[in-house]
Amino acid sequence: MSWPIIARRDWRNTAGQRSTKVLLGLVAYVVLLAGYVYPVLTQEPYSTARFTGYAVGWLTTLVPLVGVLLGYGAVVEEREDGSLLLSLSLPISREDVLVGKYLSRSGLLAATLVISLVVAGGLVVYPYGELDPLPFIGFVVLTVLFGAVWTGMGLAVSLAVSTKRRALVLGVTIFFLLVVVWDTVVDALGLALEAVGLVNGELPEPLQFVVGLAPGRLFGRITDGFLNPAATVDGAWYLSEWVALVLFAGWLIGPLGFAYLRFRGEDLS
Amino acid sequence: MKAIDAAEVSKRYGSTTALDRVDLAVEEGETFGFLGPNGAGKSTFINILLDFAKPSDGRVGIFGNDCQTEGVAARERIGVLPEGYSTIDRLTGRQHIEYAIRSKNAHDTNPLDVLDRVGIRDAADRKASGYSKGMAQRLVLGMALVGEPDLLLLDEPSTGLDPNGAAEMRKILREENERGATIFFSSHILEQVEAVCDRVGILQNGELVAVDTIEGLRNSMGGGTKLVITLAEIDEDTLPDIRALEGVETVVSQGDSTIEVTCTNDAKMDIIVELHQNGIDVVNFRTEEASLEDMFIEYTGSGGR
Repeated sequence: MSWPIIARRDWRNTAGQRSTKVLLGLVAYVVLLAGYVYPVLTQEPYSTARFTGYAVGWLTTLVPLVGVLLGYGAVVEEREDGSLLLSLSLPISREDVLVGKYLSRSGLLAATLVISLVVAGGLVVYPYGELDPLPFIGFVVLTVLFGAVWTGMGLAVSLAVSTKRRALVLGVTIFFLLVVVWDTVVDALGLALEAVGLVNGELPEPLQFVVGLAPGRLFGRITDGFLNPAATVDGAWYLSEWVALVLFAGWLIGPLGFAYLRFRGEDLS
Repeated sequence: MKAIDAAEVSKRYGSTTALDRVDLAVEEGETFGFLGPNGAGKSTFINILLDFAKPSDGRVGIFGNDCQTEGVAARERIGVLPEGYSTIDRLTGRQHIEYAIRSKNAHDTNPLDVLDRVGIRDAADRKASGYSKGMAQRLVLGMALVGEPDLLLLDEPSTGLDPNGAAEMRKILREENERGATIFFSSHILEQVEAVCDRVGILQNGELVAVDTIEGLRNSMGGGTKLVITLAEIDEDTLPDIRALEGVETVVSQGDSTIEVTCTNDAKMDIIVELHQNGIDVVNFRTEEASLEDMFIEYTGSGGR
């Protein structure tokens, strides 16, 4: 088990890079900004539990972008320049590299999210808000996992291709499809169906399920169902927060798992 | 136990065959040279040993650990100088050695001693990305030496080294072998292999065409002696007579009055006697030991004879 060696080296190396500082700084800034403007822009009562529903909107686009950008180069960079071979010549396995890189990169994002969310929680509570610790802790954990989903997506891309350029293109494409394009298409679909008179207001439930498969939508539904007292989740059983939790776990494990199975049997040289 | 034990290892890329059913056993404690022209499949074989590449067929183990399914265990006892590597970005030479120390659990090793041994102690705290190819090669040899490995696996170790560096490399390999380590290295340069190896394997187009000691290769090739004889005059009828002698492999007339005969050691005098009996004066003769170069060409057919 040599993954701690890889994780420690990668953490130090990645944290020292300017691009990482910019990305993580952006995340911290946005989270703090959300905490600061929440009492200003929303109605009373203010609480850390209600803040969760507000913060989701700020995080569903930014965290995926930062996660992908943190992860996409992790392995392919060393594979392309050949230093991966030097590591794998030592008694270090491909699994060690994968686990070490994953923990290091998702850990960097996690640490940033935890620290900035705790400070943002302080901004919510002081001076007029109410501290509702359990939902808030749950939200911090969920956000960290959401970051891990997207860092893992970036890392999966990094395992699946053999050049850094391809990894960047594929990673950004996935981000656009699942985050930017997804929402646009869903909005357009709703308008179109409404225009031809097929639906009134809401999409039919099976379609809602399909639309809700994107990680960001699951993130929102879990927050609404478990954490945010101001929101409720209703509809068919497959739209429940519990199903969302299972699907979310699928995103956490799936892409990285598939990429690993491919990487495990790959010729690296 | 065998240091390296390969059984029927094949590697195909699409329709091209890089390795064709290679069987090879390297004994503990020997120095084995893996020889072949560029593109013969030497690196492919070593990449399979290191699990950088997966064999299409067959299996190979290092000290009994399967290289594919027990790769980490296999690599725990070896030191590696791979091909096509690069040093790790942002790490100094010393940090590279420390990386090897940590991964091999060789915590009583002093990185500076290792760097001293490979001759780059002065550059210990410089970033390795600024090293020359030769220095990088020394650094990675240093990483390979960490933890007193039982097997050193080196792919074209003298790449990028000047003659001086290559000599130092050979010295280190000899020291390691005396300590008890098995040495396995590939090369396309014959004299390096000839200088240090107990046995050699010759790879040609993915096939292992010969595995033997240098001596054995010489013997299998016409007894290893080449006789160059200058005659007063040449008589075409004598050549078949000489060819008919026991122990004579080939007789080649060089056009002028010189003939070249390859034969066993014992047959040398018989040839001279035979010439004398035929009334041909021998002006001069000398013997040459067949060089590995000759054998190499013979085996790989990469030159005319």
